[in-house]
Amino acid sequence: MILPAVLSCTIFFGSLIIIFSEKLHRSITAIAGGALMVVVGRLLNFYSEEAALEAVDFNTLGLLLGMMLLVAMLEPTGFFQYLAVLAARASKGKPVRLFILLSVVTTVLAMFLDNVTTVVIIAPVTLLICEIIGISPLPFLMSEALLSNTGGVATLIGDPPNVLIGSAAGFSFNDFLIHSLPIVLVTWAGALFLLLRLFKKDLSKRPRSVKAVMRLNPAETLNEPLVARRVLIVLAGAVLFFFVHHALHVSPSLVALSAAAVALVWIRPNLDDLFKRIEWSVLIFFASLFVMVGGVESAGVLESIVGLFERVSHVPPLLFGVGLIWIVAALSAVVDNVPITIALIPVIRGLGISGMDVDPLWWALAFGAGFGGSGTIIGATANIIVVTLSEKTRHPITSKIWNKRGLPVMLATCSIASILYAILYSTF
Amino acid sequence: MNVSSCMKKHVVSVPVTATIREAAAIIVSKHIGLLPVVDKDDKPVGEIGIRDLLTLELPDFVSLIADVDFVHDFGAVETTRPSARTLDKSVKSLMKPVISVDEDCGLLRAYALMLQHNLHDMLVVSKEGKLIGVASRVDIGVAVLLAWGKV
Repeated sequence: MILPAVLSCTIFFGSLIIIFSEKLHRSITAIAGGALMVVVGRLLNFYSEEAALEAVDFNTLGLLLGMMLLVAMLEPTGFFQYLAVLAARASKGKPVRLFILLSVVTTVLAMFLDNVTTVVIIAPVTLLICEIIGISPLPFLMSEALLSNTGGVATLIGDPPNVLIGSAAGFSFNDFLIHSLPIVLVTWAGALFLLLRLFKKDLSKRPRSVKAVMRLNPAETLNEPLVARRVLIVLAGAVLFFFVHHALHVSPSLVALSAAAVALVWIRPNLDDLFKRIEWSVLIFFASLFVMVGGVESAGVLESIVGLFERVSHVPPLLFGVGLIWIVAALSAVVDNVPITIALIPVIRGLGISGMDVDPLWWALAFGAGFGGSGTIIGATANIIVVTLSEKTRHPITSKIWNKRGLPVMLATCSIASILYAILYSTF
Repeated sequence: MNVSSCMKKHVVSVPVTATIREAAAIIVSKHIGLLPVVDKDDKPVGEIGIRDLLTLELPDFVSLIADVDFVHDFGAVETTRPSARTLDKSVKSLMKPVISVDEDCGLLRAYALMLQHNLHDMLVVSKEGKLIGVASRVDIGVAVLLAWGKV
């Protein structure tokens, strides 16, 4: 059993190194790694095509696809611009008020949509509003990325690592609301307070044209109000079902896909345009990583290191959890948090098999993966998006600027989360 | 007919050492839309147009928003001027790669390239690669339509 274990680990960790080095697109690397794992598995008889298919977590893929379809239908209606313009008008052009309102809008959206999608949608209109008022968009863009990273941790559907953790641990939508939301709310408030302090100088500058922002009419941003209304009704229905999916013994993916199906039938959008807005490469990336992890598990790697897990399981769970938050956060600050989560899921499962109460560890993994990405520009896709957008403005976000503001936010969110985690999970 | 038959032969250009401010001043004084950037041998190394200069006033974030019809007043954008530091930068920081055709290029090939690259003016170079003229869409279009009189 040694050769399959060595080869499967070589393929998996080799692929992760290539993904982290960004020498090759992550989806291409994952497809190649997945295919190689199945071929080697078949040659050495430790993995089969059927086992590879079983290893794919269709609950995760279905949930992601369902939500992507709903957002793709809502995006062209102008609903997100509507929310941003509403916030801009409510702020009356006052920078601090605008900062807080846009942060709230972004975070609420990030709790229900993938935070990358949230930033892609909100950041361009934020830029426009800041340029119209005549203030630097830099604090706004950075806070939108940082707070969407933070807010996304609150719900099952807010962040891809949460979808993975929810599916692996069997956590429901409500489990996230009970265990994650309270910690995230406090952490988010701390992050917002810190950002207001860090950007105090930028936000205290007097806006040059408040009048223009008051002339923005939110209703005019809605290109297709009827479609927006229909998608929002379906989305609201889906959220209601998310609250009760566990009681109904229905998976979150079935809720999301059913909602997408209802919306598709009701709206009947142009499918070519719709499918262009779906991030297929993300879905393929996830599926391929599942195939690779399935290969590692089939090769008996977990059984062979179960002794190690048993030794680790003597560490107090609380200390282990806090340590996990910081280790995962440090890793997530420099590399993609999805492969980190996928790699750690079998490890936590292994700890569970060896007798450890792993429920708190799942939450530690979620907090570390979610908050760690704020530390550096490359830590989260949302960060890269706002930095790229800022290059189109007069105020580009440099690594130096990010390290001065993003890193303190990461350290603060991880610290607050660790303290709350220690208090709330000390009973375990 | 080829492109050299309809091009403007008097071409205003700037050296690579020129600043953005100097390039803008020439565009204003000559009332032209495109300014070729040439090396010391008069070979084009880039081009800078009004659209490139205006990106300093209106950054291209507008292109990221599908519909700006709802913005009735661009507010501070209308009065934001580039900084002196930006204007004193070399044209190299703003110029685009040169797209040119040889003097014996056919009219419709030149027009097709302009459509493909979304150009309003096409630089024309000699066999030695030296800048010898500029043909606009109007120059080329009129030259093509002239031939219709003989049909």
